[in-house]
Amino acid sequence: MLIILLVSLIGSCLFPIASRWLGRGAGFLMALLPFGLLAAFVASAPVVERGWVQGEGIVWAPSLGFDITVRLDGFSFLFCLLITGIGGLVTIYAGGYLTNKSKADRARFFTLILLFMTAMLGTVLADNLLLMILFWEATSILSFMLIGFDHKSFRARRAANLALQVTAAGGLALVLAVLMIGHVIGTYSMAEATTRGAEIVAHPLGTPILLLIMLAAFTKSAQFPFHFWLPNAMQAPTPASAYLHSATMVKLGIYLLARFEPVIAQTEWGRPLLVGVACVTMVVAAVQALRAESFKAALAYSTIASLGILVLLVGLDGPRASVAMIGFLFAHALYKAALFFCAGSVLHATGKGVLRSLGGLRKTLPLTAIACAGASLSMAGIPPFLGFVSKEFLFEAQLASSWELVPLAIAVLVNAVMVGVAGVVTLRPFFMKPAKPIEMLHGESFSLVTPPLVLAMMGLTISLDPEWITRVAIRPAVIAVYGQPVEVTLSAWHGLTPMLGLSAVVVTIGVLIIRYWKRIHLMLRSRERIERYSVESAWERALFRLVHGAARLTRVIEHGDMRGYTGMAVITFTAVAAFSMLASGAGLRVPAIEGPTRVAEILIGLVAVGGAIVAARSRNLLSALVGAGITGFAIAITFLFNGAPDLALTQFTVEALIVVLLTALLLALPLRSADTRSGREHSVDFLIAAAFGLVMFVALVDMAAGHASSDASDWFGRMSYVAGFGSNVVNVILVDFRAFDTMGETAVIAMAAVLAGSLLARRRGAARDEAKARTVHYSLSTASRLLFWLLMLSSVIILLRGHNEPGGGFVGGLAASLAFAVLSLAHGARSAERVLRFQPLSLVGFGLALCITSGIPGMLKPGGAPFLTHLWWEPGGILPKLGTTMLFDIGVYLVVLGAVLSFLFGLQKEAAR
Amino acid sequence: MADAVLLIIPVLAPLLAAAGAILLRRRPRASEALTLGAFVLTLLFSVALLIRASGGGPLAVTVFGGWPVGIGVSFTARMPGVALVVVTSLIALAVAIYSHAAIGGRRRFAGHDALILAMVGAVNGAFLTGDLFNLYVWFELALLSALGLISIDRRQMQIGAAMRYATFGIVGASAILAGIGILYGITGTLDLSVLAARLAPSAPSVATAAAAALLLGGFALKSGLVPVHVYLPSSYGPAPISVTAIFAGLLTKMGFYALLLVFAGLFAIGSGGMGAAQLKPLFGWIAGATMLLCSLAALAQNDMRRLLAYHVIAQVGYMMAALAVGTRAGVEAAVFYMIHSMIVQTNLFLGAGAIQRATGSWQLSTTGGVLRANPWFGVVFAVPILSLAGIPPLSGFWAKLLVFRAAIDAGDFVLLGAGVIAAILTIFSAALFWSAACWKELPNRPAKRLPPSMLVGMGVLSAATVAIGLAPGMVHAAAQLSAGALANMGLLG
Amino acid sequence: MTVFYAFCAAAIMACAVHMVLSRNLMRSLLGLALLSTGVNLALFTAGGFSSDQPPIIAAGAKALGVSADPLAQALILTAIVIGFALTVVLAAIVMRAWRATRSVDARDIDALDQPEPAAAEAEPPHG
Repeated sequence: MLIILLVSLIGSCLFPIASRWLGRGAGFLMALLPFGLLAAFVASAPVVERGWVQGEGIVWAPSLGFDITVRLDGFSFLFCLLITGIGGLVTIYAGGYLTNKSKADRARFFTLILLFMTAMLGTVLADNLLLMILFWEATSILSFMLIGFDHKSFRARRAANLALQVTAAGGLALVLAVLMIGHVIGTYSMAEATTRGAEIVAHPLGTPILLLIMLAAFTKSAQFPFHFWLPNAMQAPTPASAYLHSATMVKLGIYLLARFEPVIAQTEWGRPLLVGVACVTMVVAAVQALRAESFKAALAYSTIASLGILVLLVGLDGPRASVAMIGFLFAHALYKAALFFCAGSVLHATGKGVLRSLGGLRKTLPLTAIACAGASLSMAGIPPFLGFVSKEFLFEAQLASSWELVPLAIAVLVNAVMVGVAGVVTLRPFFMKPAKPIEMLHGESFSLVTPPLVLAMMGLTISLDPEWITRVAIRPAVIAVYGQPVEVTLSAWHGLTPMLGLSAVVVTIGVLIIRYWKRIHLMLRSRERIERYSVESAWERALFRLVHGAARLTRVIEHGDMRGYTGMAVITFTAVAAFSMLASGAGLRVPAIEGPTRVAEILIGLVAVGGAIVAARSRNLLSALVGAGITGFAIAITFLFNGAPDLALTQFTVEALIVVLLTALLLALPLRSADTRSGREHSVDFLIAAAFGLVMFVALVDMAAGHASSDASDWFGRMSYVAGFGSNVVNVILVDFRAFDTMGETAVIAMAAVLAGSLLARRRGAARDEAKARTVHYSLSTASRLLFWLLMLSSVIILLRGHNEPGGGFVGGLAASLAFAVLSLAHGARSAERVLRFQPLSLVGFGLALCITSGIPGMLKPGGAPFLTHLWWEPGGILPKLGTTMLFDIGVYLVVLGAVLSFLFGLQKEAAR
Repeated sequence: MADAVLLIIPVLAPLLAAAGAILLRRRPRASEALTLGAFVLTLLFSVALLIRASGGGPLAVTVFGGWPVGIGVSFTARMPGVALVVVTSLIALAVAIYSHAAIGGRRRFAGHDALILAMVGAVNGAFLTGDLFNLYVWFELALLSALGLISIDRRQMQIGAAMRYATFGIVGASAILAGIGILYGITGTLDLSVLAARLAPSAPSVATAAAAALLLGGFALKSGLVPVHVYLPSSYGPAPISVTAIFAGLLTKMGFYALLLVFAGLFAIGSGGMGAAQLKPLFGWIAGATMLLCSLAALAQNDMRRLLAYHVIAQVGYMMAALAVGTRAGVEAAVFYMIHSMIVQTNLFLGAGAIQRATGSWQLSTTGGVLRANPWFGVVFAVPILSLAGIPPLSGFWAKLLVFRAAIDAGDFVLLGAGVIAAILTIFSAALFWSAACWKELPNRPAKRLPPSMLVGMGVLSAATVAIGLAPGMVHAAAQLSAGALANMGLLG
Repeated sequence: MTVFYAFCAAAIMACAVHMVLSRNLMRSLLGLALLSTGVNLALFTAGGFSSDQPPIIAAGAKALGVSADPLAQALILTAIVIGFALTVVLAAIVMRAWRATRSVDARDIDALDQPEPAAAEAEPPHG
């Protein structure tokens, strides 16, 4: 069977390619695939008919519980016959139906239909529930594609979306149910699930599981309140409607319910629920069927009613119910597909679908009329057609099981409506006179006529000679569903029984409906309330409100106010931190006061805080900048006091550079602008800031109390001279022990430089800046040359001595850029650039490359060594140890120089524009 | 091949190529060739690394400079980092092929290639690193490169988006740095294994609780979780679409990876670690809010990029939900989801870019007819859309399945409900997207044909999605290894 | 001492946050720079204040004696550099904003590129 599935899958993709070159006969060629599969299945008939089950499997993803296991028993065999048989007829029909579409479109249709057939086969054959879900969802998607086949039409797109929404939601319900089943019984095998039903029901998840399965089944089989997608699905081309929405896909829900019936039977509420939903569906569908205006819509609603009957039959207990269900399933598939084919032929031949405007077509479409009549008689349950046999079974089942009056009455009425619909659908278009004469687009064609005729014939012949089909398909299916051997006899005449009486009642009422159809139809159509309170409009309204609500929600959240966004982030951090600290249940520890308090440090610390407060409070941007600068410098001094000279040096230079750069920026901006925050907003911000500060303070205090000395630092201290050949431990960490971090940081600076290149002016402001520079005082311009060389020299010294004393590549680079800053302030950016010789960005690129490649030579050592293993040479004598760390540092130096300069020159030119 | 070489190439190659791209900035073709070459090399080596890592045997570790483990900065071939590096390299290569047609000389001159290479290098670095501060450095590099890419089109630059991105980026980075600092102060180490050994088994103190919270806040901001996600949707507009695609695929997942590393690894939330147990309920809230809010918001968007941006965030919400479940299965689900989402999200953005290329519009209401002019696009684009909606047999189905399963097994039905509702909303959104962009046709605006490089780039990613979908066992095995590795991080040090 | 420095760091960060929340882009920029400084000071407290000797190996010695924590200092140095790069980049963005809108009020900038809120009023796509 796996081979069959595989063949089907591959064939579905390959066969339609051939149809691109064929003309009229394409449908017949395509039909070879389904009919071939049909033959393959029939070949397995002997196995099935003995009541055996054929199973195969491949282990695929055991950790996920997903295996490709398939199982052929009577029930799935019946389905397979229907799927492939009707599939073949659909393909033939489609070949004749799609004549006015392009070859590419036709090929697309064939592909979708054949893939759909594969998906259906997979669903009914799958034993692993995950595999079944796979195919189940595939049918939903393919249905989506087929409904929206004519995607230019808005109505088709809308219908497709609607169908997908409902069936995919059901698919999700099925996924959940399956996962829960897996959780309860530990496996995803459907056979296991049904045999261990008692376990499932007993588990607390049992009710949700069954409810979800029913939900999935109801969405797929268009039960109330999920029925509204099916009539909309009539937007699909008729062959698709015939296949999916009457004969096969919608029966999947029934399949699922029937498979899980043993489990549902173990609850008290399962059967009544099924019967209840089925009854409501039947009533709603019956009313809507009488209201339906178009041929296809009437058929769609009657399909819903039929599905309701099938659900009812699953819900009834007893062997007769199973017999009735199988019988009805089979008969319905045959006649419904045939009726759809006829509807499609009428649509294709006349271009009209509305029942009230059709008539007298028996002269122009005689064979179609015969087929339609035959199918309708089956649908109406007139002997000796198959439909009659199945109706008898239906009534028998209802009477035999714990029968209640209401479902029985409903069944009678609904069946009467079906008779009515059947009659209207045949008599109106074919046998009654039309209101206005109808224009025919064309007559009958072979491919359009054959399939419905075949199906209608089958409805008659099987009823007259049911032996083979009963033996091979019906009885094994019943046994598979019911679980025990059951006697099944299909015969056209059972004698005078109560069921016959009921059937007579049905037919009588049905005839009355046919007689008064127009009046009933118009009366129902005039009742607007039905339209307004229908589930479909409720769904649409809900969806509309959902989308609009979503739009409003988005506008609320994305209000566009920067302060709101940042405020939200800070509040979140503070709140989460506060929550975390409080919920951790730990107490706050306070570190002991160590040593004498040093007044100078406290003063400097307070200066830092004071600078911050000044910055926050001052209205003038320049004083804010000064305040921030003071804080920075004060912190640098703090670093100095606490044994961090490298840090102090870096902080000083960075702060100085920031002040220089930002002043250049501020020269262009207005220094004093209106307060952007109201008084109230200021207070709120104050609270937020204070809260954040408090949280950080508490965290830092506790951290200080729980402070652990760092093993890594001790190791660095011990090995810095011995292994790193440097006395400045911080520098050795930066360029050797943790050089990788520094490399990353250098890349950051490099990318900032690239950013500068794209954000800031390159050529634009140069001329004006040059002119401005010439106005600079003579003393500055002479002094600047000297200053420049001095700073450059000191930058090189800082670079070279970094390994043993405070300094290093970064500070050196900053000093060098200060040198160029002086030069450019005095003579203009252009001439500074000229002195530099290279473009700043090129320096950056080269420096970054140098920095990175300095780590590679170490890797080439014999035996292999990690990246950034530095190599050293001892030239001996007075020369110090030279290492690749110097190359690394030079790389950093160049990148810093290039980056700062690209910003400096850029900002200067921008300010001058 | 020596471990040391294998581990460093995914970062070294892009960064060195970035330096080269800066130097080659006046030669767009050479620069593009360099980029492609670097990505191909990275992909090859990362696959080799993956093979090495999953082949069993001792964990591949390299400490830069040859210093002892726990002292120097190390890179480890730990799952899930290695798998993610492969995915990153794949995405980078696919987007580079795609952008052959999309990025012109002007942008390359402005430094596009260098910035993209640096970003990919940073992402790979974050995935492979074994040092907490090193992780921070890579985040900063990614931030800066992203900023550069957002601002790359000087003429069309959206200053508000750049300003917002920069502000949020710095605020988030400060929170992360503060958290790292506090952790260093408490434990005295920066090495992830040593940290895990010290933090996971012990009860939290006020300081570690604060640090955990700060790291949560900062990395949540980087991942785009609610409520600190507001800067993301607008940041997906200004950059060229191939760049946005890389943002969507890499940056948020980088943030989430850090969350996994910190909480499933350092604090061992998925395996009974006590270090940050107090934060677990918060995870559920954040995840649920993100999933629901963002799949809802996506429904209302007309601009394709914002719609997809919201989906990106919603998917991160799913990953967070998997983490919030708090079991090993949850962490597995989170990793699987990450791998799936990276590929699918990037592909979706590439698709949106293709649609805009063909129809000239970013708005769903004014696009259409792409399928008629480009039937192959339909095939290639259907894959990520269906995967997003969670339709089998694509990767999205398995990812959602794993998340749901983890929630059911842990009994967390509230989170499950939120996830299901979000999934339904996502299906609605995906169907609407397809029908508006591909099916609808505009009568007076026929769509143009797409350049083949775009389709090839997308095709690579679609093929990967299909492969994961058809053979989920492999990725699931990687996810299981990852969950194990994260849970045992402290034992490897 | 440590408590005092913790207080300083927290106070600086609080002031910085207050500035960041301003809608004046320049003030926000200064606030972000100040925030970086505050975090650096917090990092410094993480290193401990057990000694105020700089971590430089004395001439002739082979190992470091009692000194301040060198690793914390290295980390802070990296953080200072990165913070500097970010501040400068932000300055460039603010400069661009100024050029484009002649204003440093965030509301004017946001008004520039707020995504079609008007369009969101329009019918959401119905495929």
